[in-house]
Amino acid sequence: MPVLETVDLVKEYDTGGEVLQALKGVDFSIEAGEFVSIIGPSGSGKSTLLNMLGLLDEPTRGVVRLDGEDVTTLTDRERTSARKRTIGFVFQQFYLLPTLTAQENVAIPRLFDTDPQTNVDAANLLRRVGLGDRLDHRPNELSGGQKQRVAIARSLINSPRIVLADEPTGNLDRKTGRKILEEFTRICNEGVAVVAVTHDEQVTDYVDRVVEIVDGELAR
Amino acid sequence: MNRLERRFPALMMARRNLSRSKMRSALAALGIVIGVVAIASLGLFGSALQVSATQSLGDIGSDLVVSPAFSEGVQSLDDRDVRQIRRAARDAGVVPIKQSQGVVSYGEERTVTTIYGIENPGTAWVASDGRVPDQLRSGALVGSSVADRLDLTTGNTVTVGGQSYRVVGVIESQGGFSPVNPNSAVVVPPSAVDVDGYTQVLVTASSGAAANQTATEIRDSLNRREQRVTVFELSSITDQIGSLFDVINTFLLAIGSISLVVAGVSILNVMLMSTVERREEIGVLRAVGFQKRQVLRILLAEAVALGAAGGLIGILLSTGAGALIYWQTLGDPLGVFTLQNIGYLALAYGFALVTSTLSGLYPAWKAANRPPVEALRS
Repeated sequence: MPVLETVDLVKEYDTGGEVLQALKGVDFSIEAGEFVSIIGPSGSGKSTLLNMLGLLDEPTRGVVRLDGEDVTTLTDRERTSARKRTIGFVFQQFYLLPTLTAQENVAIPRLFDTDPQTNVDAANLLRRVGLGDRLDHRPNELSGGQKQRVAIARSLINSPRIVLADEPTGNLDRKTGRKILEEFTRICNEGVAVVAVTHDEQVTDYVDRVVEIVDGELAR
Repeated sequence: MNRLERRFPALMMARRNLSRSKMRSALAALGIVIGVVAIASLGLFGSALQVSATQSLGDIGSDLVVSPAFSEGVQSLDDRDVRQIRRAARDAGVVPIKQSQGVVSYGEERTVTTIYGIENPGTAWVASDGRVPDQLRSGALVGSSVADRLDLTTGNTVTVGGQSYRVVGVIESQGGFSPVNPNSAVVVPPSAVDVDGYTQVLVTASSGAAANQTATEIRDSLNRREQRVTVFELSSITDQIGSLFDVINTFLLAIGSISLVVAGVSILNVMLMSTVERREEIGVLRAVGFQKRQVLRILLAEAVALGAAGGLIGILLSTGAGALIYWQTLGDPLGVFTLQNIGYLALAYGFALVTSTLSGLYPAWKAANRPPVEALRS
């Protein structure tokens, strides 16, 4: 059973009387441990698809299934819980909180659980991505690659089933980008699915499968 | 992280966020400080004014003045009336007074004053010089203003209405607004005043409550068949002054409240600005699994923290200012810690918390309900 799949997914935006179809019936699925990249020109709808996959936005029509469960009909609260439980996010701009240390940033998704184990887990995850000596550093004391590795550690704090990455190497040089991609490969080897939306050509060297999207439709 | 923040993680986030732009947070809290100081210190100021005014009014609240009922044609009170008043007044002091006007002279100086014919002035007043006898059989007492004007001391001889008297004592200056005020009067034995009956009777009770009861009993006993006397209770004046001060205090509090509302608007503004600036951060929090109410809690904690901190500083400042006012007006800085004043401080602090909560509510609600996908759109 796929971790995440979409069936005939349609997303329409109402832009001043004119209906714009960003997604025109997308069928997509990803298995556990698979590394898939979604490529396509700007405006092709790949970010929209990623938002649907991440339960951040609701489709106009169609179905999104997370572990076989239809999540399109969930309330905001249930969707948020499902996101927290099963999905990790990595963004192009890293989006770390500037007031928190690396360790606190990794622990942030579990802030309200007040679980003392969280800090230990966060430290372990940072060690795993090679930042064991940067636990108490603030984001402004870290390089771009280090920030992105903190973000990856944050995406893993709740042991997700899938990690969604939006241009994860977009703000990094090629060498640093490769290190990040190696990190994703390692995650996949542990059974976590990874979807990366990207323009970056070198991503292709690491992924199991490339999906191209053009004008809101998957290119075959 | 301290224990409180471990228990309430929203507080930790709030503190970190507020410390990010310290100047802005400090200015927003400053608004609350000013508002709280305005409310609390105006309240304290009002009550200090009231205490000092009540003190200078003295104990006139326990005095009664019984006068003939002029409206019913009664011109003066006779011995029978006085006996009845004495019976009704029980242990309160009763001082029948004959009043007229006359010329008082000492050496070259002369002046026109009120002349009281009183048999027992010692019941009502004490001396600042010499003595005020319980039974005034000969000699005269002079009020403090008259003594000043004519430069009199005990032992001098004055002429009152053509007759000479030796000054036995100077009556201590009386505050307040009693219709019977000895300050600018001369007191002589009643036989020396050529007036039929008594013009009024001064009754001094032990307390305001006793005065009230005595007034009722005098009315009951003398006015049973016909209106014979009118009883003027000086406590009615102090009551009026008290309610006047209540009005003044309410007015001052209302002015103070306006400044706290302004402070609330400034918190609203700061919170709106900071949530707009942190739009993406808040979006990320929502994406990684923060519920709306958890985001709301963090942002509300920020607003309330501003109000709580500003309020606390405001309370400390106004307690200090209040102690200073009490020290200046009453000479007792610790007098500021009355139940009423603590009430003003609590009111101001409560108002600060309510204002900051209300101002934080809208920005927090708005940020919490922004769809994460919209917040993260770059």
